Amino acid sequence: MLGAFVFLAGCSKPTGGNSGTNSSTPQKKITIGMSQCNLGEPWREQMNADIQAAAAKHPELKVVFKDAQNDTLQQRAQIEEFVSAKVDLLIVSPKEAQPLTEPVARAMDAGIPVIVLDRRLLGDKYTCFIGADNKKIGNALGEWVVKTLDGKGNVVELMGLQTSAPGQDRHSGFLEGIAGSDIKIVFSADMKWLEPDARKEMESALSRFDKIDLVYGHNDPGAHGAYLAAKSAGREKQIKFVGIDALPQEGVGYVSQGILDVTFQYPTGGAEAIDTALKIFRDEKVPKDITLGTRRFDKASVKTGGEALP
Amino acid sequence: MTPTQNIKSFSALGNPALRACLALALMLFLGIIFNGDGAFFKTGTHRDALRQISVYGILACGLTPVIVSGGIDLAVGSVLALVAVCAAKMAIHWNWPSALTVIACLMVGAACGGVSGLITAKLRLQPFIATLAMMVFARGLAKYASGGMKISTAILNPDGTYRYAEVPPFFRFLDSRVLGGNVSVVTIIFLVFAAVAWILMSKHIWGRHIYATGGNELASRFSGVPVVSVKILAYIVSGTCAAVAGICQAAQEQQGDPETGAGYELVAIAMVVIGGTSLAGGRGGIGLTLLGVLTIGYLDKILSINAVPEAGRLMLTGGIIVAAVLTQSRKKN
Repeated sequence: MLGAFVFLAGCSKPTGGNSGTNSSTPQKKITIGMSQCNLGEPWREQMNADIQAAAAKHPELKVVFKDAQNDTLQQRAQIEEFVSAKVDLLIVSPKEAQPLTEPVARAMDAGIPVIVLDRRLLGDKYTCFIGADNKKIGNALGEWVVKTLDGKGNVVELMGLQTSAPGQDRHSGFLEGIAGSDIKIVFSADMKWLEPDARKEMESALSRFDKIDLVYGHNDPGAHGAYLAAKSAGREKQIKFVGIDALPQEGVGYVSQGILDVTFQYPTGGAEAIDTALKIFRDEKVPKDITLGTRRFDKASVKTGGEALP
Repeated sequence: MTPTQNIKSFSALGNPALRACLALALMLFLGIIFNGDGAFFKTGTHRDALRQISVYGILACGLTPVIVSGGIDLAVGSVLALVAVCAAKMAIHWNWPSALTVIACLMVGAACGGVSGLITAKLRLQPFIATLAMMVFARGLAKYASGGMKISTAILNPDGTYRYAEVPPFFRFLDSRVLGGNVSVVTIIFLVFAAVAWILMSKHIWGRHIYATGGNELASRFSGVPVVSVKILAYIVSGTCAAVAGICQAAQEQQGDPETGAGYELVAIAMVVIGGTSLAGGRGGIGLTLLGVLTIGYLDKILSINAVPEAGRLMLTGGIIVAAVLTQSRKKN
């Protein structure tokens, strides 16, 4: 096991001289390159923080972060930089599948294992994919809504950008979750993940419908915007507010402050990526595809870190 | 009726204010037809529509003198975000008194505008480029100042846990309502700024200088108009208005989001132009901007209460902007 680790470290740093023989230095730094597609989103900021926190527990790991600022070609260039810097492992959270599939494949050809986080690439030329399933989370949320509202009620759905896969999946998963019940989506609008837009749409919903039982925001800021609109109309007590993502400073905070009733975590997979990386370094077999479960945070469970759902 | 007669009857409509009123009236008429099961007839809908447009409206009030002077300010959306971050940081995290927060925020906005103005008027960079640069820079500064995270009431402790601060009272005040709950405070702020801008532009000597500069810069220069300082002041006013909008945005979101306000500059410019202020400079005014703000704001609200899908909203908004500006430019033909 140790031999494999030294071998890997050795073949990625051939300039090291005494490669393969010096097994008495397990503390030799292993460099992991992390290519983040866009640090402009708090969720991705959290992903990097999770990776950093998990890596900090292993002093032999050194993680180098790069931010492609939502630019596919820049991300491609950064992956190539990591390959020529001969990092020991690459974690990529790609912006887009098509243009980044080949750069990742070339990294694999260069002998660098690649962990793909959150968004998929085409084909299977990577070591391991780790991601959550928006559809599953939407579904779990829908089932929770059915249970909480006793199978009937008026729901406002404030959707994430409907041209994005997460927005579509959180919608279709929810529809599956509430299928067969008497839950009615009386008003739905695309708030494009933006809190001010969510608030505006919720104001329209409030002036159109006198009875709203629950608001489902595709992200926590959306649900929070809806809460502010309802509070402004004096109706926040009659309505339940539900969101997704459960970032510590957003959704989890809103639940502990009594603003949202529940939030479902969309895990970043940062910690799991480091776990998987360590397994790869130890030459253990890792699954090709890891789907992360979600956690539900409500008033009761928010203090104890939420409740894990399968 | 021949086409020429048609154009004549359009120009017979007289001044641009009348035409802008017509556009607004048409919009309200559309609201009466597509009333979203009666939602359009509730006072709450109008109060909400006016709340929603207030931030844009404040931006548009600041943009009007810049556009009349022949310039443009693309940075207002980013300056709004920068100030929102500053306001949240000062008021929520540092517990600054509200007066100090407001003054500091206004200075941040005025400084951004001042730099844009200096680069445009003194260094003679095209306003489009100068303010484009400021737009990118201010967005970067907002992200830097916030560490890329939203500045909310959840404050990170050194040990990785969070503590929750109270929403500052003046944020709560800005997001409340007055006059029996019928008018949002931000709407009042918008109207106050519109009034101040109107006085500055139509009663003050600076206003006349703005129109002169936008009408013919060279002639104004020769006739003794201090063109450089007039223009710089216009950008400072725009930056200050963006700061006010930023404070209102932060108060309404109860946080400072470095990503907020993206694209707001284009909405605000569209509001100014739909009112009838010419992008070429020299013509227009705050009154027209007010009408433009209401027209776009009501368009947005009517689409929203009818839950029109996003694709349809975008296409309709685009079409209506073109139609409105076309009627405005009829006179030139």
